[in-house]
Amino acid sequence: MSTKIKYFFEQSWLLMVSSVVFGLLLAVTDAAWKPRIEQNVVNRFTSLAGGLLTEAERFEPIAQTISIDIKGKAVPVEVKRGLNAAGQTVGWAFVCEGSGFADKIRLVVATDAAFTKMAGFGVLFSNETPGFGDKINITPANGGFYQPQFIGAPVGTLTLTKTGDPAVIDDHIVAISGATVTSQAVVDTLNAWLVPIREKMAAEGLLK
Amino acid sequence: MAMQSLTKTFTAGLWDSNPVLRLLLGMCPTLAVTAAMKPALTMGLSVVFVLICSNIVVSLMRNLLKPHLRILMFTLTIATFVTIADLYLKAFMPDMSAALGPYIPLIIVNCIIIGRAEACASKSGLLVSIIDAVGMGIGFTLALCLLAAIRELLATGKLFEMPIMPSWFTPWAAMGMPVGAFVTLGLILAGVNVVTKKT
Repeated sequence: MSTKIKYFFEQSWLLMVSSVVFGLLLAVTDAAWKPRIEQNVVNRFTSLAGGLLTEAERFEPIAQTISIDIKGKAVPVEVKRGLNAAGQTVGWAFVCEGSGFADKIRLVVATDAAFTKMAGFGVLFSNETPGFGDKINITPANGGFYQPQFIGAPVGTLTLTKTGDPAVIDDHIVAISGATVTSQAVVDTLNAWLVPIREKMAAEGLLK
Repeated sequence: MAMQSLTKTFTAGLWDSNPVLRLLLGMCPTLAVTAAMKPALTMGLSVVFVLICSNIVVSLMRNLLKPHLRILMFTLTIATFVTIADLYLKAFMPDMSAALGPYIPLIIVNCIIIGRAEACASKSGLLVSIIDAVGMGIGFTLALCLLAAIRELLATGKLFEMPIMPSWFTPWAAMGMPVGAFVTLGLILAGVNVVTKKT
């Protein structure tokens, strides 16, 4: 038995030592850079949400835990309150996620303070087809066609149409030509998340 | 003589044994991240970093490696440095990290790196291993940049997101898609074969 143990250590000592050394190296690297990585995530959210709620000076997470049901699973949602310089709530922002054509789509969504109208959305992550589905990333400032339709749209059930006037702000969203699946994915995601979040927030007494 | 040998080792990765154009290794990132110059350059430099670090470590422990455990040791080493590269991009280049997505962690299974660990670093001294890693890494980066330059220029009319093509140019959307990657790479490889045959 001792011969077997000795053989085991003779064969694998380098592997074990390397594992410990590399593990320590990774732990140190992670400890050094983790705060920066987490801050990058916060900055990205703040940047997108700030572009949607222009009156907001800062975003603070709400104290309550909001959890909604998405396809039978309880999904936690970190809702942040947009506050202006006077400390008044100008809107709400949160991250929602759904399945796109190629990969998942993660959006930062903002609404007004009453949670009755959308302030728009920004794309945190998507991997949609270049030149087609990735047009959901194009902001209004860059001549986007799709995103502006959501600014001022009602929080409720949105419907995707293939034809129509995108300049008319209502619950009908005109799809990106050649990217119906991606366009529908964004609409479906918003339909699945917005109303349940509003209901939960209303139940918590957060909405006036 | 030693200098000549090192020069030959370095230049082998640039052309004679270019991992993409001659050895056809690392095809996955080559096709996936070359829609534009910035992600291609970032991927190339990430691979250079991982190659150099893993070759150094493998060369230093080459006399201690057990033959039947060497692949495991190579993979452990490469995975460590790929994770460090991934964390660096997330910390200091978050936009590029998001653009490259899963292709940075996939460097772990890039055949170029484990291939150089097996073919060179596990059998050579430290200096040769480093030179080999630099040559192969730069060769890989240049191949990616060549492909990305063609694709970005034709797909968007831009290079490094700066407009290059004249206003009358109509972008070829297909060049930004997988079909454009395959066709462009195929044509480049055909050109390399023609040049190689002639010489």
